[in-house]
Amino acid sequence: MTEILQQIINGIAIGGVYVLIALGLTIVFGILGIAHFAHGSVSMFGGYLTFFLAAQHGIPLALAITIALITGMVLGVLIELLAYRPVRHANHINAFIVALGLTMMVEGANLQFFGAEQIVIPTGATRVFSIGGVTLPELRLYVILAAAALIAAMTIFVEKTKTGQAIRAVAENRDAAILMGINVQMIPLVVFAISTALGVAAGVMVGSLFAIAPGVGEGLVVKGFAVLILGGLGSIPGAVVGGIVLGVTEALAAGFISSAYKDVIAFVVMIAVLLLRPQGLMGRA
Amino acid sequence: MKFKTLLMLAALVLFLALPQLITVKYYLHLCILALIWVIMAQGQNLIQGYTGYVSIVQAGFMGIGAYSSALMGSHFGLPVGMTIILAPLVTAVFALVAGYPSLRVKGHYFAIVTLAFNMVIFIVLLNFTHLTNGEAGISGIHKPGYGRGAMIDFYDRQVYYYFVLAIAVLMTTLAAVIVRSRIGQILLAIRQNEDLVASVGVAAWRYKLFAFVISAMFAGLAGALYAHYQSFINPEIFGVAQSMDAILAVIIGGSGTLTGPVIGAFFVVFLPEYLRFADSFRLILYGLILVLATIFMPRGIVGLARDLGTRFGGRK
Repeated sequence: MTEILQQIINGIAIGGVYVLIALGLTIVFGILGIAHFAHGSVSMFGGYLTFFLAAQHGIPLALAITIALITGMVLGVLIELLAYRPVRHANHINAFIVALGLTMMVEGANLQFFGAEQIVIPTGATRVFSIGGVTLPELRLYVILAAAALIAAMTIFVEKTKTGQAIRAVAENRDAAILMGINVQMIPLVVFAISTALGVAAGVMVGSLFAIAPGVGEGLVVKGFAVLILGGLGSIPGAVVGGIVLGVTEALAAGFISSAYKDVIAFVVMIAVLLLRPQGLMGRA
Repeated sequence: MKFKTLLMLAALVLFLALPQLITVKYYLHLCILALIWVIMAQGQNLIQGYTGYVSIVQAGFMGIGAYSSALMGSHFGLPVGMTIILAPLVTAVFALVAGYPSLRVKGHYFAIVTLAFNMVIFIVLLNFTHLTNGEAGISGIHKPGYGRGAMIDFYDRQVYYYFVLAIAVLMTTLAAVIVRSRIGQILLAIRQNEDLVASVGVAAWRYKLFAFVISAMFAGLAGALYAHYQSFINPEIFGVAQSMDAILAVIIGGSGTLTGPVIGAFFVVFLPEYLRFADSFRLILYGLILVLATIFMPRGIVGLARDLGTRFGGRK
């Protein structure tokens, strides 16, 4: 029983990372209708940059994360302006292929600047709490809390602020939004900045919890999309539920079945949901 | 039309003469790989170019074809010629299983689900060591005509070149037949407006599944040809990156055309060779080419050539 509880807690920490990635993807998809496949690699860039600043240049971790977040936001804005905007009016396949090309470029850049060695961001958070036989490392607790805080902040931003309303309006009906005086040239930039910031946060979490290496970003973005398919497209509660379901499934699969096949099991769950509930766990039929 | 036939004949003659013109053996090797990739790209083109669904599992299917052909030979002692024919059928079974749930979602999400399938195939090839021998791979795969004292020696590179060329021509013709048939027209209609197709009473999902399975069979065949050519396979070349190469081949060559994949296949096989000087910048350059090509040349080399043709030749 404690073993199961232990794996569930591990799963929630991973699930939190998946939720952050998925939220970044869903907000972009809602506004621009594109699957921003390069999101994972960009997120890992944030993780790498944090490592580079904190571990190699001795900059305090909090400052390093802040710099990485800002750099990530700038990068996100540039990606929208230079790569996605030119294909906005073309067929949607084109945007996806641009995304694939961007993925190669960012992966290549990561490899070029940060090397092929796997890296772990040093956090210094090494204490381990023990509650009735279930161990909870300090770091994992911080990750879960930070993910929860970011999810809450994002929800409040989208639901309550003026900019958030404008984003929802553009997602709902672009033409009507233009008539209401919303600057629709500006909105995608804001969306990409937020999305990339969430991604960089997830990248830092992956880098401190596990490790960052070439290819990790691509795996992560696929998990992010799997979360969206699980939860139901375009729904924030869906992404939260989907992310935690995926994370816990994976942790249980790794703990009790086989760690080599944990990804396979995660995808099987996604495919089962597609077959039984194509609209997703939280989606409306 | 007449000009087009002439061009096709010229291309065929060039392909036939190519081994005689090439002096460096390594280039002949690359040409064989490129012809195998022509089959891959024609398959990818059917689902991506004609039906409008970007599938990212083609290299995974290539792997299934390669492993099934090699394993059927070593486990059941079937002749190589037969396993090459059976391999696409085995791949088709997997494609049916993968295609049915994948095609429940559209557009980008279809792409992602197929990509997940590619990852699953890759993980299984890597970890199901009992059958696939994991990362070490399978070596010593026989060439066609093995152990029969055959009249044709497939161990000769030139012979294998002509063997693959014949199959590539055959598969390109098959792709042309499919595209020109009623099914092909429905696939084109699905690309343009799937809701409209459904609204006139056509069960679009059947045609999409057909395109998906056929494209997988092309990839399976390419995989089998690859396995028997190289005599060695391991999971490494059946990953997501190679599926992206298939997409690139279609886009660069010209999606939704029959010549496009041929040009694109040679492009993706030869380009990395010429980018060798760039070393670690290769991936960045490769991605940049893909992005720029999609933005400025969305109809590929074939589309570009057609535009130039109409501008200067007045030919349509």
